[in-house]
Amino acid sequence: MDVNSVDFKNKSQRYRGGFKAFVREWMILFLFIALFILCSVTIDNFFTTENIMNILRQISFLAIVSLGEFFVILIGQMDMSIGSIIGMVSCFFAGFVAKSGMPVGTALIIVLLFAVAVGTINGLLTVVGKMPSFIATLVTMNVIKGVNFIYSKGVPISGLPKGFNYLGMGYLWIIPIPVIMMIIVAVVLNVFTKQTPLGRSFFAVGGNPEASKLSGVNVKFVSILAFVLSAVLSAIGAIGMTSKTMSGIATIGDNMLFDVMTVVVLGGTALTGGRGKVAGVTLAAMFLGVISNAMVLLGIDTYWQWIVKGIILVSVVLIDANTKKE
Amino acid sequence: MMQDTPLLEIRNCTMEFPGVRALDNVSFKLMSGECHALVGENGAGKSTLAKCIIGENIMTKGELYICGEKINLSNYSVRTSQQKGIAIVHQEFQLMNDMTGIENIFVGHYTTNGPFIDWKKLKKKAEEIMDFLQSDVNLNIPVKYLRTAEKQIIQLARAIMMDAKVIILDELTAVLQDKEIKNIFRIVDILKKRGTGIIYISHRLDEIFEMCESYTVLCDGRYINSGYVKDVDKPKLISMIVGRELTQVYPRIENTQDEVLLEVKGLTAEKGFRNINLKLHKGEVVGIAGLVGAGKTELVNAIFGNYKVKSGEIYIKGKPVQIRKPQDAIKHKIGLVPDERKQLGLITLFNIKENTVLPSIKRFAKFGFSNHKKEMQSAYEYNERMQLAYASLWQQVSKLSGGNQQKIVIAKWVLADTEIYLFDEPTRGIDIGAKVEIYKLIDELTKQGKGVILVSPELEEVIGLSNRVYIMFEGEIKDEVYGERKTQSVIVNSLLGLGG
Repeated sequence: MDVNSVDFKNKSQRYRGGFKAFVREWMILFLFIALFILCSVTIDNFFTTENIMNILRQISFLAIVSLGEFFVILIGQMDMSIGSIIGMVSCFFAGFVAKSGMPVGTALIIVLLFAVAVGTINGLLTVVGKMPSFIATLVTMNVIKGVNFIYSKGVPISGLPKGFNYLGMGYLWIIPIPVIMMIIVAVVLNVFTKQTPLGRSFFAVGGNPEASKLSGVNVKFVSILAFVLSAVLSAIGAIGMTSKTMSGIATIGDNMLFDVMTVVVLGGTALTGGRGKVAGVTLAAMFLGVISNAMVLLGIDTYWQWIVKGIILVSVVLIDANTKKE
Repeated sequence: MMQDTPLLEIRNCTMEFPGVRALDNVSFKLMSGECHALVGENGAGKSTLAKCIIGENIMTKGELYICGEKINLSNYSVRTSQQKGIAIVHQEFQLMNDMTGIENIFVGHYTTNGPFIDWKKLKKKAEEIMDFLQSDVNLNIPVKYLRTAEKQIIQLARAIMMDAKVIILDELTAVLQDKEIKNIFRIVDILKKRGTGIIYISHRLDEIFEMCESYTVLCDGRYINSGYVKDVDKPKLISMIVGRELTQVYPRIENTQDEVLLEVKGLTAEKGFRNINLKLHKGEVVGIAGLVGAGKTELVNAIFGNYKVKSGEIYIKGKPVQIRKPQDAIKHKIGLVPDERKQLGLITLFNIKENTVLPSIKRFAKFGFSNHKKEMQSAYEYNERMQLAYASLWQQVSKLSGGNQQKIVIAKWVLADTEIYLFDEPTRGIDIGAKVEIYKLIDELTKQGKGVILVSPELEEVIGLSNRVYIMFEGEIKDEVYGERKTQSVIVNSLLGLGG
């Protein structure tokens, strides 16, 4: 029982499966490196600081929103409402600032609270109301969409202060501000999921809610928190996106759900819950960014992206469903 | 001459699962019109043998003959066994709850008229089957509205529809009332006269003497004996089933101290149990015996805060406590080792270390951050103490054997500094060697002054390990036995509600 013994060292050693197990666990990393090298070699103008920063800036808000959805998928649920939450935050924030003359800070806090409220409602419907989360969030998605259009009357709300543009388009040295936001969010969440008891309990709840409950995990709280995190991270992404466009648009997040799901699944998150990585999801967002960028540089019509992304999602899920798990 | 060919014969069947040999060289023969009892303790291999017969498991070694024909095991499956006329009726139902009785009887075997189901014909056929069974079950309502016994009759009707020559009845009567059991007996008689062979799996020995012609005893996966029921008496059968001296297996646990650790007063739930009073001392093992449905599992779950209680009080070391959810129970140093290891005890996706530290992760954290190194060290220390057989703490628990999984469940509670252990069927599906190790661990815990409440369907286990036994019948504690009264016969009588 001596923790200084050789026996302990052997038994606590990670990756006993060797390199193969390591590769399997970090598949997305290897895929990303392979794709990156491929693009660098074959496409002109790909491997430039400017282009790489451009790719990162384009996917940073997608990564942030995906990391929100990640928590919901991790507990074995689904959040369909993120697109509407993004639209809500975008048009209400712009409206509060441009129409009602609210200070940016105050408006920010209020829309974040809106997001917390929506996330809590999603969580309560699913956890306490025992609704399938797919339906519960489908409903909130539609209801919020209605609210967004009623408030914005369907037109973009412009008139945000010029300085606000810095958040979406600014740079710190050569690094775009959105990229810095993404890195901060990813690092914080990585530490949260790995190094804190609360963060780790998301995996337990997703792995087996009943056993978690019997081991003293507050399953209800953790589950509701997953929906709140999803909504709040969507809101953070939405603020960034609004800063980029400089106007509040009710439909700004409408096409995001597909990309988000692709990123979460490609990042190695099990749709059945319990397994996934913050780093994996972040890498998957970059992977998708490189593919989009490469297609643009190669002069392929953007509509092809929809088809390519579809193929990626199908392949990943097919592979995941048909390989034996460790 | 026909009589001499067995309906079903198994020769030298061995069934291995990773790490466990569930059946070891078992042979079995079933004749036409015979009711053959398959007896043995839980985990003796009865259900595994039944699964081998119906093709749910494919035996690792051995031969299977149906009506004298040797079966090619490489493409044997549940489907082929059905075609060969083998059916099973479980106590757990394989029925479509929202479909009617008729639909359930014929699903997959509909008579059609062109592309359409010929309901008229099916209805007539169903009535014929019911007439044959001399039963009267409403076949036109969804089966979820039927009583347990009626659902079993629907399953029997389905077996007859498929013209089953061999019907396996797996613990049917465990959840039935006396009157309903009599009805099953009657149906079995009808089937026997028709020439059907019945394999009867039951814990209730009385039933075997009442309706079976022959028996086969299994013990820990080994074939013990076969013969005619008329040539054997109950004590002889029991000694074959138990297959060993009880004292050899169960450690003598005598560590009871005076201090009362846990006291339950008047605990009542909406459903499950009423007015439960019990006491647990330091270092004591208290057994709870009772049949399926007596409320044992509900009771331990209620003490753990995982089952809703209507009224009653719980005292820990003399102080009243409120336990509304498992978190409260864990705070009061109560730990539950649940009956369904894989569903309730462990997160099988997780590795050994994560499972071991789960109830304690908050305690290991400093300023809200986890200390993985300490967790790893503790997981190592406590699992070594359990003598867990493992290669790495990073191993996923789903790959370990049942006994080793159970050790992890116990290790996690020991690590969480638990004082009151609730064991709900701790040795379910575990081989005998691992069982003995679990018993030793229980002994070890009591030596350290911990209290243990033990629920088990194996009476010998409860008697062998417990200092005192509470006997539950239909949700109430009917008796409390210890010392000289702690015997099989006293408990069995109380279990059946006959009074001590």
